[in-house]
Amino acid sequence: MQILAQLIVSGIAVGMIYGVIAFGYQLTFATSKTLNFGQGEALMLGSLVGLTVVAFTGYWLMLPVVLAFGLLQGAVVERLGVRQAIKTKSESGWIMATIALGIIFKNLAENIWGRDAMKFPSPLPEAPLSFAGVNVLPMEIVIVIGAIGMMLLVELFNRRSIFGKAVVATANDREAAGLMGINTSLVITFSYALSSMTAAFAGVLVAPVTLTGASMGSALGLKAFAVAIIGGLSSGFGVVVGGLILGITETLTGYYLSTGYKDVPGLVLLLLVLSFKPSGLFGRASIKKV
Amino acid sequence: MRFATTLLALAASTALAATAVAQQPIKVGLSGPFTGGSASMGVSMRDGVKLAVGEINKAGGVLGRQIVLVERDDEARNELGVQIAQELINKEQVAATLGYINTGVSLASQRFYEEAEIPVLNNVATGTAIATQFKAPEYKYNYIFRTSANDAIQSGMIAEEAVARHGFKKPAILADSTNYGQLGREDLEKALAARGVKPVAEEKFNIGDTDMTSQLLRAKQAGADVILTYAIGPELAQIANGMAKLGWKLPMIGSWTLSMATFIDNAGPNGDGALMPETFIQAPTTPKRTAFIAAYQAAYKVDRIPSPVSAAQGYDSVYLLAAAITQAKSTDGAKIRAALENLQTKVEGVVTTYDHPFTATDHEAITANIPVFGVVKAGRVVVAHAEDLAGDKALRVKAKN
Repeated sequence: MQILAQLIVSGIAVGMIYGVIAFGYQLTFATSKTLNFGQGEALMLGSLVGLTVVAFTGYWLMLPVVLAFGLLQGAVVERLGVRQAIKTKSESGWIMATIALGIIFKNLAENIWGRDAMKFPSPLPEAPLSFAGVNVLPMEIVIVIGAIGMMLLVELFNRRSIFGKAVVATANDREAAGLMGINTSLVITFSYALSSMTAAFAGVLVAPVTLTGASMGSALGLKAFAVAIIGGLSSGFGVVVGGLILGITETLTGYYLSTGYKDVPGLVLLLLVLSFKPSGLFGRASIKKV
Repeated sequence: MRFATTLLALAASTALAATAVAQQPIKVGLSGPFTGGSASMGVSMRDGVKLAVGEINKAGGVLGRQIVLVERDDEARNELGVQIAQELINKEQVAATLGYINTGVSLASQRFYEEAEIPVLNNVATGTAIATQFKAPEYKYNYIFRTSANDAIQSGMIAEEAVARHGFKKPAILADSTNYGQLGREDLEKALAARGVKPVAEEKFNIGDTDMTSQLLRAKQAGADVILTYAIGPELAQIANGMAKLGWKLPMIGSWTLSMATFIDNAGPNGDGALMPETFIQAPTTPKRTAFIAAYQAAYKVDRIPSPVSAAQGYDSVYLLAAAITQAKSTDGAKIRAALENLQTKVEGVVTTYDHPFTATDHEAITANIPVFGVVKAGRVVVAHAEDLAGDKALRVKAKN
């Protein structure tokens, strides 16, 4: 029982990491029906910029710098990689462009920070807390709270603020929103900026647990992509649940089946979701009119 | 008259060309990952090699010719290693090549040197198959030599340390899913079986995995009393950190990658006490080692050598090659190979003193008696058992062939 609880707690911590990255996929998909395949790299850049800044400012003051950097980086990705594809209504141009930008960012990071994994100073004590025999790192609790908090803030922003309403309007019907005088291309740029900002924030949030380095984004970005598909790309709530499902399945399979097959059930689940509910467990099925 | 001048000029230019050949530098290839996950090993190896080449050139070079290194970054990628091998052989026409950190790159690239009859001195890669890939009778001559402790030696030492020295009976093996991890795990299983011990748990993980809870809990449930590892720095650090998180600390004994800076720095205090076999530990235990450490620190302005083992083995590989070229009186690949297989001069290296290190059938310079155990202590690797290097045991040499 205690072991099961420990596995679930660790699974939640890992799943929240996946979920918070997947949340970024969902943000841009909602407005532009495109994804930033360099989401993992946005996370990595945020984390490495954070590592550089944290030496001067400490952990908490570093956060606004990283958030600003994330906004900027996302806007750059949209301007360079996605805008042209949307303009020409290209079905796949943005896929190649965001992947290419991701590779460029990774190479850039390798040249600036090297390719070794580095330790990110933890703002909290690294000794585990014990609840009835179940151990959890303070930083893992912060990841869960931080991820949920960030997602709530973004949702609140979308529902309450006038800018947010423009985002939602664009997400619902881009043509109509454009006719109502909303600058939809600006909204799309903004959604990319927001998406990279959440990734950068996720980067500094998870870095004390996962280690930092130019290659940290690839594995996490891919897992998060699976999560986004399982949970449903159109649902912010879905990706969180998707993350938890994948994280917990991984630790449980690793323990009860074999650590060699840890990743298999998650991928099987992915295939099942794609065959039976392609829009994801919590996604809305949309009919594309041509 | 005019004809005579032309003839004279021709003769003069031929003579010039002849002297130019005599003074042409000797090109030696250097292939290793200078960027990437194994860069700390690659860069230390390269720096050790450059240090030795600098010393040799300063003392007049080999056969009166300077050594010029042709450095190439293989990024630990097999296909890039192959490209580099072809470039070094065909375009640069090197006399020999030093290097290789990654077993995969080494195995993929060496075939071209074997075919071109150019010797390779593997100075870091540890895969057991490397030095025997082209062994007789399938191949007439083997052009591949090695100056590092292979995985069969390392796993044997790990098993001995765990079972004989510490008396552990229930080891759990944690290895990554790469070739390195899985081949090492096989070697380790064999070495344990030879001592009548069967691991109670064998767990796997992927490069980039951040959570080791399942692996560690399985080892814990199986009643493990020691963790044996075959993996690389970052994931090894996650194992040490994962144990701290679960509040369950077992001794860690593993392959030499436990001395990687990415393990030591990322595990911090959780990594203290990890034991690994090392051919060289940054400690002034012989005059040669003292001089080497001082020279390295002065040349590269560091206190801690990022990977002391790679630096020392790289340094020694240059002196072995230089001795072979001197003895062969030629840069012809076949002659260098023959000289390496029957090296008459004793080469005093950092790791050991090489007295007939290779024969036609044995291309491993390091034997099981040479490495000693290092232990991580406050961010550095120090000698684990002082008695291993006490007195005249400081210099451990290969038994005569």
